Amino acid sequence: MLTIALRNLTARRRRLIGTFLAVFLGVAFLAGTMTLNATLSRNFDNLFATADNGVAAVVRSDTLISDSARTGPIGGLRAPVPSRLADTLRTVPGVAAAEPDIVGYGQLLGADGKAVGGNGPPRLAGNWIPSEQLNAYHLVAGRAPRDVAAGQPVEAVINRGAANSGKLKLGDTTTVQTPLPVRVTIVGIAGFGGQDGIGQSTYVGFTQTVAEKYVGRAGQATQIMVAAKNGASQDTVVAAVTKALPSGVSAISGAAYTKANTDAIGKAFLTFFKAFLLVFAAVALLVASFSIHNTYTILTAQRTRENALLRALGASRAQILRSSLAEAALLGLLASAVGVLGGLGIAQGLKALFDAAGFALPAGGLAVTWTTILLALLVGVGVTALAALGPAVRASRVPPLAALREAALGEARSGFGRVRTPLGAVLLGGGVVLAVAGGSIAAAGAGAAATTVGVVLLGPVAARAAVRVLGSLVTAGGRLAGTTGVLARRNAARDPRRTSATATALMVGVAVVTLLTVFATSVKQSLKDDVDRSFAGDLAVSSPAFGGGGLSPQLAADLRRVPGVEAAVGIGTGTASIGGASADVTFADTDSLARAVSLDVRGGSVAALAGGHAVGVSDKEAKKHPLGSTVSVMFPDGSTGTVPVGLVYGPRGSFEDYLIDAATWSRHADQATDTQVIVKLAPGTSPAAGRAALTAAVVPCGSPDVQDRQQFADAQASGVDVVLTISYVLLVLAIVIALAGIANTLALSVHERTRELGLLRAVGLTRRQARSLVRWESLLVALFGTLGGVALGTFLGWTLVRAASSSTAIAFAASPPILLLILAAGAAAGVLAAARPARRAARLDLLAAIGQE
Amino acid sequence: MNATPTTTTITAPAARAVAAVKRYGSGDAAVYALDGVTVALPTGRFTAVMGPSGSGKSTLMHCLAGLDRLTSGQIYIGDVELGTASDKQLTLLRREKLGFVFQSFNLLPTLSAGENITLPLDLAGRTPDQDWLRTVVDTVDLGDRLKHRPAELSGGQQQRVAVARALAARPEVVFADEPTGNLDSRSAAEVLRLLRTMVTDLGQTLVMVTHDPSAAAYADEVLFLGDGRLVDRLEQPTRDAVLARMQRFGD
Repeated sequence: MLTIALRNLTARRRRLIGTFLAVFLGVAFLAGTMTLNATLSRNFDNLFATADNGVAAVVRSDTLISDSARTGPIGGLRAPVPSRLADTLRTVPGVAAAEPDIVGYGQLLGADGKAVGGNGPPRLAGNWIPSEQLNAYHLVAGRAPRDVAAGQPVEAVINRGAANSGKLKLGDTTTVQTPLPVRVTIVGIAGFGGQDGIGQSTYVGFTQTVAEKYVGRAGQATQIMVAAKNGASQDTVVAAVTKALPSGVSAISGAAYTKANTDAIGKAFLTFFKAFLLVFAAVALLVASFSIHNTYTILTAQRTRENALLRALGASRAQILRSSLAEAALLGLLASAVGVLGGLGIAQGLKALFDAAGFALPAGGLAVTWTTILLALLVGVGVTALAALGPAVRASRVPPLAALREAALGEARSGFGRVRTPLGAVLLGGGVVLAVAGGSIAAAGAGAAATTVGVVLLGPVAARAAVRVLGSLVTAGGRLAGTTGVLARRNAARDPRRTSATATALMVGVAVVTLLTVFATSVKQSLKDDVDRSFAGDLAVSSPAFGGGGLSPQLAADLRRVPGVEAAVGIGTGTASIGGASADVTFADTDSLARAVSLDVRGGSVAALAGGHAVGVSDKEAKKHPLGSTVSVMFPDGSTGTVPVGLVYGPRGSFEDYLIDAATWSRHADQATDTQVIVKLAPGTSPAAGRAALTAAVVPCGSPDVQDRQQFADAQASGVDVVLTISYVLLVLAIVIALAGIANTLALSVHERTRELGLLRAVGLTRRQARSLVRWESLLVALFGTLGGVALGTFLGWTLVRAASSSTAIAFAASPPILLLILAAGAAAGVLAAARPARRAARLDLLAAIGQE
Repeated sequence: MNATPTTTTITAPAARAVAAVKRYGSGDAAVYALDGVTVALPTGRFTAVMGPSGSGKSTLMHCLAGLDRLTSGQIYIGDVELGTASDKQLTLLRREKLGFVFQSFNLLPTLSAGENITLPLDLAGRTPDQDWLRTVVDTVDLGDRLKHRPAELSGGQQQRVAVARALAARPEVVFADEPTGNLDSRSAAEVLRLLRTMVTDLGQTLVMVTHDPSAAAYADEVLFLGDGRLVDRLEQPTRDAVLARMQRFGD
């Protein structure tokens, strides 16, 4: 029977191209994702392991202020430790060196006066650790910084990546914003591990004195790095150091420190990549499985007599089943194997793409693991075999008598076939009700899932009606395409199960994309609406949307003195521990806040926050901390306080859940930077004039963007565009796979209808008409799938937005142009998919077609 | 009809084959399906083409009908020579001037009987002549079944629909290829009577390929083909005369 499976495969190569392609793409994405992931993990691991090679132990505070800070340093924000502790540790037996390490923020300005840095990675500044063993960076040119006389530019080392992208070289003088502008002379260029830096992040190393002054605080360090004497193990050093430590401070081994660093990087970068790429793989495989199922259903129908003959000759049901499955599995294996190779290409391509987009990742070859290869093969073969299982079972049920019957064999409706429509109707109805009325996110999710399954089950019923309606619409009641259109419509409606199965592949893909698009559009629109409601100023100065680069708190004060400016309010974001939990905090000058931002005050007043006497909370957090209650706040410097809640405000896009007066915040946080300064112009100052004045005024700060209301709103929503771009790429992918499926089904249909086409050609169908017949049918199927997908996706998007709106302020919004674009893409796919089958239909050998038995 | 050789020459032929040769392969392997057939099919007459398997009768019909091309020689439908016609011209010719009835699978399963009848007109985008259509439908006696799909009709009814379709466009010639091959004898007789009626009453020209002497007996004239050549013709055939002639092929 295996021989038969093999022969079937080789004899029907062309018919299986579509299936092959679908499996190939799905597996390629899966393998690509896993390879890229393994490569990134390995390269980051290597990088940190090399860089922190000489670190035996790290001493740090036990007070963790925030572990998942969006704005804090990699690995979490902790209270500082005294620098003096290093002196104590140097005397501990087994310790070769101990140095304080100050880690903070410093934005380097390049030779052109613009901020250096990619689209997100941190801009780091700290002290240049004199011990080569302990410094993760090493000099590749120049020398270590030395303290200089007051009034002179201070000396600094920068990493080579930053030097290259900022076009800075040894001896150059530039500015580092910490956020206070510091004039520096570059005396050294450094590498990190074997690389020019940690990805695209920038690094500036000062002397300890300078770092304490601008980055940290006098006498304090982020942590203390300890090196071991020859022969002393990390554990011994940790044990010895621990004995010498005061309470509230503890030591971890160098290995644990490296692992914490790589884990944190993993959280920050890799989780995003992984999710992003796995969605691709999942969509590809999902769409593929529908295509495979469909192809095998048709093949089984075409082979009914073959299988019946085998049964008549004595093949058992199990043998037929095994043979069908073996054929699918072989095909799956073949496609998966090629898919794994394609995956390596995808991994390489994506890596290059991310590099080009500014998310530079550590260099190094691809990490191809056995896990990747085996899992990708397993998934590919599994999906193919599973999708072919139904048709294989059907093939095995063919009665031997069917071989002798001349008549076309109507497919016997299986038990599932009878309950399919009622089950689909129940699931769809129940799903919609649950999604609309359910209330909770879980109910909405379950409702959405039930709706999707219901729609897929109802496909055949819908296909017949939809094709009829669509057909009349598209062909303008037959006037546009004439008889060809009518015939195409009838053909598409003649086997609704096949039509719907073909269209389902496209539908599922389009639904996922529409869901993403609708959600992204809603978020984007809501962000813009939010700006419209809250933005009371005329212009805004913003730091880049990503990466927490900051504006000096001095900037708002400076801008207030610019002629024509009535008010300038700096708004920043930081991390604190509130009520014992890590929380993101917005801080602003509460005296002038109301002049730039119209807050949706639900209780209390903004004035109550002045002087740090109270905090504001969003109405979401007010459930935990209602107006008038008190909360404990631990600031980044480790100091704590208990303050009342003096304000409850409604959701505002760029505002975090807690609001604290800026003066209070900056007393307890190092390097408090603003992310935006909102400027209100004096009456009589034109926006253009105000803008020109501001643009000139911000030059010393590295020329951050000066935006009007519209640009500000667009910038706030710009992160969403990434999601939209992803969804378009997904759309293309889904359509390509579904296209292969449609082309395949059509080719098989053309093959099945050879005699019909022959008859039509004999009674006067021209070749052009034969082509257009196939094309119209394809267009109808594609439109059915796309429309279904858009409708389903829009509903699911609406459900998702509703579910999400309970926690965030987003409202449903769909963009008709984008939905139309998706529809057009689906229709184009239909016409494209028909190209090859249409050509075959037109080239049909007339006599052979008529004579075919 | 009192046909004589004289009337045959007076009536302009609806279709003609002149020195028609159809060769498959070349050199030693060459097989001649048609080996120099010259024949005229008179207008308004029912001509049957007979001959044993491999005699070239189907090839002759396919070539006359523009479904296949000759290796050499000419085919005329009316005054139009088919040798130089493009595929598109042939298609349009079939659509407008020829009608077809095949042995089986004559109808599109997705179209109703009525839609199948007007299919060639619809493909050409022509409006059917309602009076003619009514005449045709009356002749084939399908009045109440026009809305049915082919699957809902008996074999005889399906062939009658096919005959109606062949007539709908008022073609110059109707070709029938073993139209009763798949029918029981009662249905076959019905269809043959119908074919006879369409020649006698409606003045159609009809060419029918068959191997059944009873079917050939409905024709005005029978042409006998053997080994790609026209070997005999029989006016006003009877079943027994045809049978007797056919038996001589075995000798």
